[in-house]
Amino acid sequence: MSEVILEVKNLKKYFDTPRGKLHAVDDINFSIEKGKTLGLVGESGCGKSTTGRVILRLLEATEGEVIYEGVNINHLDKEGMRRLRKEMQIIFQDPFSSLDPRMTVSEIIEEPIKLNKIIEDPKARFERVLELMDLVGLSRRLMNTYPHELDGGRRQRIGIARALSLDTKFIVCDEPVSALDVSIQAQILNLLKELQDKLGLTYIFITHDLSVVNHFSDDIAVMYLGKLIEKAPAEMLFTNPIHPYTKALLSAIPRPTLDKKVEKIILKGEITSPINPQNNCRFSDRCNHAEEICRSQEPALEEVAPGHFVACHLFKK
Amino acid sequence: MSDKLLKIEDLVVQYITDDGIVEAVNGLNITVDRGKTLGLVGETGAGKTTTALSIMRLIPHPPGKIISGGIELDGMDLLALNEQRLEKIRGDVVSMIFQDPMTALNPVITVGDQIAEAIMIHQKVGQAQASQKAREMLEIVGIPGNRSNEYPHQFSGGMKQRVVIAIALSCNPKLLIADEPTTALDVTIQAQVLELMKSLKVKFQMGMVLITHDLGVVAEVCDDVAIMYAGRIVEQGTLEEVFTEVKHPYTEGLFNSIPNIDDRKEKLKPIRGLMSDPYNLPKGCSFCDRCDYAMPVCETEKPPKIYFSDTHFVECHLYRDQQDFKLKGGMK
Repeated sequence: MSEVILEVKNLKKYFDTPRGKLHAVDDINFSIEKGKTLGLVGESGCGKSTTGRVILRLLEATEGEVIYEGVNINHLDKEGMRRLRKEMQIIFQDPFSSLDPRMTVSEIIEEPIKLNKIIEDPKARFERVLELMDLVGLSRRLMNTYPHELDGGRRQRIGIARALSLDTKFIVCDEPVSALDVSIQAQILNLLKELQDKLGLTYIFITHDLSVVNHFSDDIAVMYLGKLIEKAPAEMLFTNPIHPYTKALLSAIPRPTLDKKVEKIILKGEITSPINPQNNCRFSDRCNHAEEICRSQEPALEEVAPGHFVACHLFKK
Repeated sequence: MSDKLLKIEDLVVQYITDDGIVEAVNGLNITVDRGKTLGLVGETGAGKTTTALSIMRLIPHPPGKIISGGIELDGMDLLALNEQRLEKIRGDVVSMIFQDPMTALNPVITVGDQIAEAIMIHQKVGQAQASQKAREMLEIVGIPGNRSNEYPHQFSGGMKQRVVIAIALSCNPKLLIADEPTTALDVTIQAQVLELMKSLKVKFQMGMVLITHDLGVVAEVCDDVAIMYAGRIVEQGTLEEVFTEVKHPYTEGLFNSIPNIDDRKEKLKPIRGLMSDPYNLPKGCSFCDRCDYAMPVCETEKPPKIYFSDTHFVECHLYRDQQDFKLKGGMK
């Protein structure tokens, strides 16, 4: 049995809004083993990015625990957090706004090493920067260029190099390829995979693109309106999805083939508001199978097969 | 009347900037039959949107300029028309849907009035009648007509895109140009909008140019496919021809870059490198520096157009001497 690196217990994040409490993340639980990838999937507004940020404590949790290597990080003080941040990093979606436009490529990658006093000697530090650039496939001649001179794929490589510049073990990848063209997207996905194999990294891979996540993840968790509604090993989730939302999501992906037409499940309506949710299944308004119980009672996440968790009333039938 | 609705011949569009000349579209040929949908596929910077704007005659000038070529829409030579005539055509004979529904709508005008505006301009009807028609259009795209007095911010992204579609279709155009119409939407909403567009295409019997980078969307909606790279169509054919008999190495690369959802392969096969700089395109084939099959001739000579059927052609040196050349494949 491999070691659990991160565990999330009853995590909640509510935001106050003029119209009431917005339940961005509502009581979710999961754990990730070392060296594995958890894909966190869902549509806009389902709380997946908020989850990623709360795990890194870029946002404070309203309730619940995030346990990283046995330590509850919600209780760490500033200094403790600072030490931990060397191991926990994030890669952002938009490689255009996440890099300082007035710093050169080498300065951007060097900054975390300098600030965290990992390598004090400037020469050795510079060597390390070059090493990181090689690692992520950035040609050394680019070290004095500025981000605006580079394309999206290269910029994303800078973001990855920066995330790896410390003693990184765990990375939250927040839609790292969704701003990129397909051919470049594949380059970056392959790079992330290689780095994981080489450095033993653990990823949380946040995305709305199920085909990307299937390719990449060991486990997949599907979120809907702040709730975790299904979680299973990737293979299992794709061959045997149980939750009606997961099924619809899978069928909605346009497939680039002519044969094996999957029957489309077209959902009615759109995602409802996460403000002051009712005590019901949050998907019930759009669900094609919803029954009385779905509208009156919230389903709990239950294990229906080894490793396969679903929150749906109808499954039990 | 011919069944060709849109015919573009040898179109060349350039942006003349202080830094040099951007060769955005370099000798483009496409045709769209009445009632058919052509998928125009390519990556950022391939010239897809420039092509679309050329058809609308909306290329910003300066710096953009249509250097040569011809665009024929429904028997009219678009490049010969003056601005007055063009205004009558835009929105009436040809409409366009833009990628981002958030910015395509005017935030301070109700959606009903925005739809009615197009109707009043082109159909010479009064306010009341146009408003009535606007409500009908909303119903057609699946929005309750009584929401016509609401403002764009009261709608979600998917709903706004439906409003944009309603505006585009309000005057019953013969050709609809959809520039990445679902890219900004979530998958389940994308599925709804694609479904809607498919049914409306039949209902209004219009031709459509669907610009996208997503081969999955193409497989779902299009009849014909044109793959665009660095301002040229490198491969074109019916949906079936392009999807089952991939000929151009770039098309193959595109297919191999997509993670296959039904089959977890270990590694994706990306296309190496980046698209050539449009300021400085290679002398020969624009794709040669990224191509796994490149030969010396690719660097020096523009590739010839080679036909495999009346509809399927490719621009590639590989097939010049041996028509039955097979790509390495690796897909499926």
